Amino acid sequence: MKMKTIVLNTIEEHAISDKISALIKGDDMEVINTSGMKIAHCMGCNLCWLKTPGICAIKDDYEGIIKKLVDAENLWLVSDTRFGFVDWRGKRVMDRIVPMLNMYVEFRDGLERHELRYHPLNFGLLYKGQADQEFLEEWSRRVASNLAGHSLGVYNIRKEGEPCM
Amino acid sequence: MHVVIINGSPRVQKFSNTDKIIQSFVKGLQASGSSYDLYSLSNRKEWDAARASFISHDQIIFALPLFVECVPSIMLEFLETLPTERQQPAQMSFILHGGFDEGHQLRLCERFLQSLPAQLGCTYGGCLVQGGSFLIRMRDDEKMKKTMTKKLDAYTKMGQSFVSNGNFMTTEACKFTGSEKNPRIAHLLFRLFIKRLVRKKFERYAQQWGCTRPLDDKPYLNSK
Repeated sequence: MKMKTIVLNTIEEHAISDKISALIKGDDMEVINTSGMKIAHCMGCNLCWLKTPGICAIKDDYEGIIKKLVDAENLWLVSDTRFGFVDWRGKRVMDRIVPMLNMYVEFRDGLERHELRYHPLNFGLLYKGQADQEFLEEWSRRVASNLAGHSLGVYNIRKEGEPCM
Repeated sequence: MHVVIINGSPRVQKFSNTDKIIQSFVKGLQASGSSYDLYSLSNRKEWDAARASFISHDQIIFALPLFVECVPSIMLEFLETLPTERQQPAQMSFILHGGFDEGHQLRLCERFLQSLPAQLGCTYGGCLVQGGSFLIRMRDDEKMKKTMTKKLDAYTKMGQSFVSNGNFMTTEACKFTGSEKNPRIAHLLFRLFIKRLVRKKFERYAQQWGCTRPLDDKPYLNSK
């Protein structure tokens, strides 16, 4: 069976698409460039858990992304970095993922977790710039664990001629 | 001591758990003779004033909820607007909280916060870490109200402690987190008894919010 992979590219550079296809392989892969999209910050209102289960109160371009994630098994974030972590544009598309879970809680991997609304999602990260690789690996593992999936890895997109470390 | 407090939550102040924590904390600051200014990043109109205060004062506390294993994106955006060097020295401290009660869930974000002050020309004043804040908003029955009042009162004590120690690098602040993970027996009890009660509680709460669908509804399944 084909595994559907969604790539959320939050970097405002078209040249990055070659690098994405070189680093991420998938039979059924769709790259969504979010830089031109209207996506607000999650405002933590909890309506997607307690009033309109699964439906975000913010009506913007993220709804289309959620609809695609419902059919996907793998999610990759492509993000620039700041302060050693993904930047706010990258974090913003992850903060909005909340409707993929529901209000109910359970123990998973020995920790309190929200139940999945649909199915597990694996999570991976491609990042640009200076960041703490080990920190991002742990973040990716934790994000994947929240989605009951596994981390697909964390990779740095280097510019041509740039040293590996 | 004058403390600049910045609420890094994107939730509007009226419903912000972070704000309730801050309000309890500042009672402690005031009781010890300190003053404060408070800015909420959920209101964009406060960003310029928050930035100006960040630049001109030397005691800064960011209070924030855990969002997807780290800092909320709105706070990351604000941080990018701050200067990376400063003329006057300053200390940045943090009050980090989250819905689940396990301290372990907040530690990665705490690690990020530890690394942040140096990148903004500040020193690190520690991080007050505590989970279990989801229920702050759900104080509908007496028992829960009591538990939450106790929880918020503890923040008032930490406000006093912050004034007398100048930071959160104290044993008291370390102990404030409580347990890192739930013991195995708690997992068992949860599965056997508590899970059902919690589900009922959430369902009742959702009803009060006017929810007409099951909480585990799958609105986009087969939506193609």
